[in-house]
Parts: sequence; structure tokens; C-alpha cells
Amino acid sequence: MSTPALCIRGLRKAFPKVLAVDGVDLEVARGEVFGLLGPNGAGKTTTLEIIEGLTTADAGEIEILGLTWGRQGQEIRSRIGVQLQSTSLFNKITPREALDLYGSYYPRRRNTQELLELVQLVEKADAYHITLSGGQMQRLALALALVNDPELVFLDEPTTGLDPQARRSLWDVVRRMKGEGRTVVLTTHYMDEAEALCDRLAIMDRGQVIATGTPASLIAELAIPSVVELTFEGTAPDPAPFAGRLGQPVERRADLWEIPTPDPKALLPRLLEAAEGAAIPFQQVHIRRATLEDVFLHRTGRSLRE
Amino acid sequence: MMLWRQFASEWRLYSRDRVAMFWTFAFPVLLLLGFGTIFKDDSGPKLAVVRVQSPVPTAIDGALDKALTDLQLKVLTLSKSEAETRWSKGETAAQLEPLGSGGGEGYRLRLNSYLMAQAGATAGLVNQAWLVAQARLNGAPEPNRIPVQVESPGHKRSTNYASFLLPGLLGLNLVSMGLFSVGMVNVSYREKGKFRRLAVTPLPKWIFLLGQVLHRLTVTVIQAAILLLVGRLAFGIQNQGSFLNLLFIMTLGTGCFMAFGFALSGFAETSEGYAAISNLVFFPLMFLSGVYFTLDSAPAWLQHTVAFLPLSPFLRALRAVFNDGAGLTGHGFGLLIVVGWALAAFALAVRRFRWA
Ligand SMILES: Nc1ncnc2c1ncn2[C@@H]1O[C@H](COP(=O)(O)OP(=O)(O)O)[C@@H](O)[C@H]1O
Ligand SMILES: [Mg+2]
Repeated sequence: MSTPALCIRGLRKAFPKVLAVDGVDLEVARGEVFGLLGPNGAGKTTTLEIIEGLTTADAGEIEILGLTWGRQGQEIRSRIGVQLQSTSLFNKITPREALDLYGSYYPRRRNTQELLELVQLVEKADAYHITLSGGQMQRLALALALVNDPELVFLDEPTTGLDPQARRSLWDVVRRMKGEGRTVVLTTHYMDEAEALCDRLAIMDRGQVIATGTPASLIAELAIPSVVELTFEGTAPDPAPFAGRLGQPVERRADLWEIPTPDPKALLPRLLEAAEGAAIPFQQVHIRRATLEDVFLHRTGRSLRE
Repeated sequence: MMLWRQFASEWRLYSRDRVAMFWTFAFPVLLLLGFGTIFKDDSGPKLAVVRVQSPVPTAIDGALDKALTDLQLKVLTLSKSEAETRWSKGETAAQLEPLGSGGGEGYRLRLNSYLMAQAGATAGLVNQAWLVAQARLNGAPEPNRIPVQVESPGHKRSTNYASFLLPGLLGLNLVSMGLFSVGMVNVSYREKGKFRRLAVTPLPKWIFLLGQVLHRLTVTVIQAAILLLVGRLAFGIQNQGSFLNLLFIMTLGTGCFMAFGFALSGFAETSEGYAAISNLVFFPLMFLSGVYFTLDSAPAWLQHTVAFLPLSPFLRALRAVFNDGAGLTGHGFGLLIVVGWALAAFALAVRRFRWA
């Protein structure tokens, strides 16, 4: 248990037109749920697929459960579980058959019925893969990732395309994996998911890791624990003149203004007075805790959702 | 064990694609029924000559016509203008025309340069008929002809054309399944990312590939069995040799051409690319194998090279067993060539195979 579950140094991968992964270092401890958070195109999938042995890196070192691809590829494959960003199976295979078949490739395997129950696919166990809904296919892919009772599980955007209820139940499955002592590495572009599930995360942007830490520490590092929001009807006006008047930076985001502050209690009276004075046509005022979204915004100047 | 599961799973998934399965088994049968019916009572396509009618028929014309028929030529008598029309359409291989008004002034034989194989043979027979006709008219003894016997190369017995066709169909079907369907399916599955999930499992590539080869092997054996059964019921075609030998040759051939398909699929990125590559291999293989014409007049180096291609030894062994009831001795070297290609192609297939 002394070696980390995953240790990556200087990972790089260039595609003909983009530098998809640009010097990524990561270390994931055993038993941890580790998240890669970043917008689309940040390089999360490429990073995972290099680790999983699907893509070859241009440079970098990877150690998985203390093993390396060069010498111990088969052992790595038999000890990790993988959910790809999109899993394409043969059209006319059923979930039960797929779990039986993929299970047969491994020295150790979990009971098919148990897995079907875990991901709530018992009713669809004998339906052809092509007839499953997107969410059901996603759950089957998750069950396949667990078929070999893996120590280390990689989930690439496991909740994309799921409805809110299915997302919650997937979160429960991930928490159970952690409870069973597995290490989980997942990617997501939902900050609430990263916050709810991950012990630690790395925020990725343009092929680089721009911050690493626990969700709480990343937010605390911002030193702006709160954000005051003024919402408008329709698009928010240019905040620059008002920021000058207030003597504090104001960010515009679609239909609202955001004013990060370490002390909302002191800001609020000043803010309302200034807004009144400038006749700002705002609708409502909210005070909220800073989130990972704000961390990303602060570090990149861009929103995670764009 | 892993191999068995892979094989069983291939079969299970295959059997669910009813339409594809139906055509795999029905298509060769339809071909056999079609060609078999066309050439049902024939010992192969007959030689025919177009005879242009003399404006004023003479005794020599009559004698010549009789001799032509006696020599087993199919004679098609047409008027001059009808014959010209047919000739210009390119349908005529050989055309016999009187010079002047009747046979008395002699004849001319026009041969179609595009159909020289038929035309040449026909010309020989027409000339013999001419000698026979002259002798008969002069009351001289008929010239002695060297007797001709049509027979399959193994000297077992001459059977009808459909029975010559059947092993050819078996072989062609195998080659096209290996080169076109197996390889193409593989490339398109890879294109669609259907193998990516397998890439992260410990399943070895060679087991995955061998499972598919074994699956296809059983498919072709069933296909062959159906074809043999239909051939027997519809045309009375019998396998003259041992079924075990037939199975053995079919197994080697399937292994070889399936492995070919898998190996080629490792060189193509897209289905379109694969179509080009497979044609590039298929056509030389077909044309240089002596299926359509013999290479007797080709340069020596080409003949030596071609002798090591797998298709002709495979077809030769298949025909020898099926049509002539031969054993495998005498085909050892040929089959060794097939095995060599099979192993080389499979090794290349495993080497070049990519999951994604
Ligand atoms: N096979 C590929 N060929 C070319 N470019 C690619 C390929 N895969 C990914 N990319 C590019 O690399 C970048 C990172 O992509 P990806 O790793 O999928 O990001 P993410 O998973 O964070 O959305 C993107 O700009 C993407 O377009
Ligand atoms: Mg991705």
C-alpha cells in the first residue's frame, strides 16, 4: 500500500493540430476518488486514454499500481477497470452476455447478476444493446468497468447524458466503490459533481493542470469565500462604470454580475447604495459561497461551461 | 477456454444477424442453381460456327454442312446480312462464308480476334469437316481422324459442367468471404470503435483473431455442406473423393484466405481504403491463378512466381478430390504452399492488428 495508485510525470501528447496534453503531472493515492475537472477539449480524455494504454504518449512516465506498461501491460489490464467516454458494443449483444463475455477475459471476475443489480439493469439484462437508452448504455459501461473487481477504476464523464436522478444513483455507486476500497479516477465538466464526489481534484485547461487539491482547499485558496450576484432581466449591462464607482471588480456573466468578496456583510450595504445611486435596473441579489466554478474562472478568466 | 468463449460468442452474435446469415448461405446456392441450369445437359459450352448461306446451294455446300454437324459443331445458318449483323455485334466467334455465288468457288473462315480460344478450336474442326466433305464427294476414303475424348483432368470420368463449377464456387466463395467480407467487417468495426473496449481488457489479439477465423471456418464448412447437398439433389453432382479430404482442403483454404483478410485489414484506416487494398490483392490473385486463362505464354519469372500463389494449388487440390476422386498425395507441395501463406498471413494479421 506504500506505492500510489497512480503516478504520472511530464505527460505530453500532440495531435496533428493540437497539443492535447501538455506536461501533466498527477499523483493519486490508494482509496481516493480523484477528479479531473475541465471544460470540453481540456485534454481529460486523452490523458485517461494514455494512462489506460489506448493511446501512446509522446513523452512522460506512468506508473499504475506500481506497474509500468512496457513490462507489465497484461497485469495492468487485469487490475484496472475502464469506462470509456463512449462505449460502443456489438449491436446485438445483451447486457448479461456482455458482462459474462468481458468477465471471461479476466482472472478474477464479479458475479453478473450482482453487477446488473448494482447498476439497476436487471430488467434490461436480456435486451439487445442497441435497444438500450443512452443512460442504460452508460450504466452498462459502468458495470463493465467493474466486471474484474478492479483496484483502480477510470470513469470518463460517467454522468454525461444522464438525467438528474440517474446522476445521483451513479454518485452512490462511486461512493460504494470508495467504500469497497477501490481507487477511482473520474473526469467531469460538472463542478457540482467534482465537489460532491472527489476527495481531490486536478483542474485541467488546454492540456495543462492548472490547480490541484481538495475541493475545499481549492476554494479556500481563492481567498474570496463568497460571491454576491446581481441578476438582470435579459443580458446584463457593461459593469465597468459601476465597478469604478464601487471600487471593486465586477464580472459580467450572461444575465448577472458577480462581485467576489471576502466579506459579504460589509459589501452589501455599500453595493445597494451604489446601485441605487447609478440607477442599476437589477432584479435580485444573491449571496453564495464560492464554488469550483469561481476557481476556474479566477484562474483562466473563462467559464467552465463555455 | 478463452478461445472457446470467443468462438461461441462470435457465433451467437452472428446468428442474430439473420439477413446477413441468410445471404451468406443462399448466395452460393443461387449461383449454383443459376449456372447449373444454364449448362445442365452440356459438357460445357459447345463450339459453334456461323454458316453464311450460299445464294445458290450446291452439292459441296450440302456435304460440308453434313460434315460440320458430324464433327459435333453447332452450326448456325444465317443469311449474309443476318450474319453480318451478328458479326458486328461481336457475338460470333467464327464465321464460314462462301466465296462468290456458291460453294464451288471456295470458302473463307473469319475468326473473331477477341474470342481466339473458341475461334481457334472451331477453325480446326471446320477444316477437318472440309476434308471430310471433299473426300465424301469424290468417293475417296474418309480421312482418318485422331479420336477426341472430352474428360476432366483426373481421368476419373467426365461429368457435366455443373460439377466442374461446384468446386470453383466453393473456392471463389471462400476467397471473396476472406478478402471482402471478413476484412471489410473488421475495418468498419474498428472505424466505429467497436474494438476499443476490448483493448483495455487482457484479451490477447491472437485469441480474438483466431476465434473469428474458427467461426468463419465453421460457416464455410456449413456453406459447403449446403452447396454439396443442393448440387446432389438438383443436378446429381457427386463428390468423387473422400469427404475427409475435402474437409481438410477446405479448412486449409479457409484458414488461408480468412487470415489474408485480417492481415489486409491491418493496412487500411477506413472502409474505402480497405476496398481499394482488397481489390489490389484480389484481381492479381484471380487472374494469375489460371482461373480465367493459362499463363503458358507468360514470361518464365512470372510463371515461377505465380506457382507460389495460394489460390491455384488450393483449387487444383479441391477439383482433384471433388471431380476426380484423387487422394491428397501429389498435392502435398501445393497444400504446403497454402499452409505457408496461412501461417504468414495470420502472423502478419496479429502483428498489424489494432483495436482502435
Ligand atoms: N484522435 C484525435 N485526433 C486529433 N485531435 C484529437 C484527438 N483526440 C482528441 N483530440 C483533440 O485534443 C484535445 C483534447 O481532447 P480531449 O482529450 O478529448 O478533451 P476532453 O476529454 O477534456 O474534452 C481537443 O482539442 C481534441 O479536439
Ligand atoms: Mg472527454
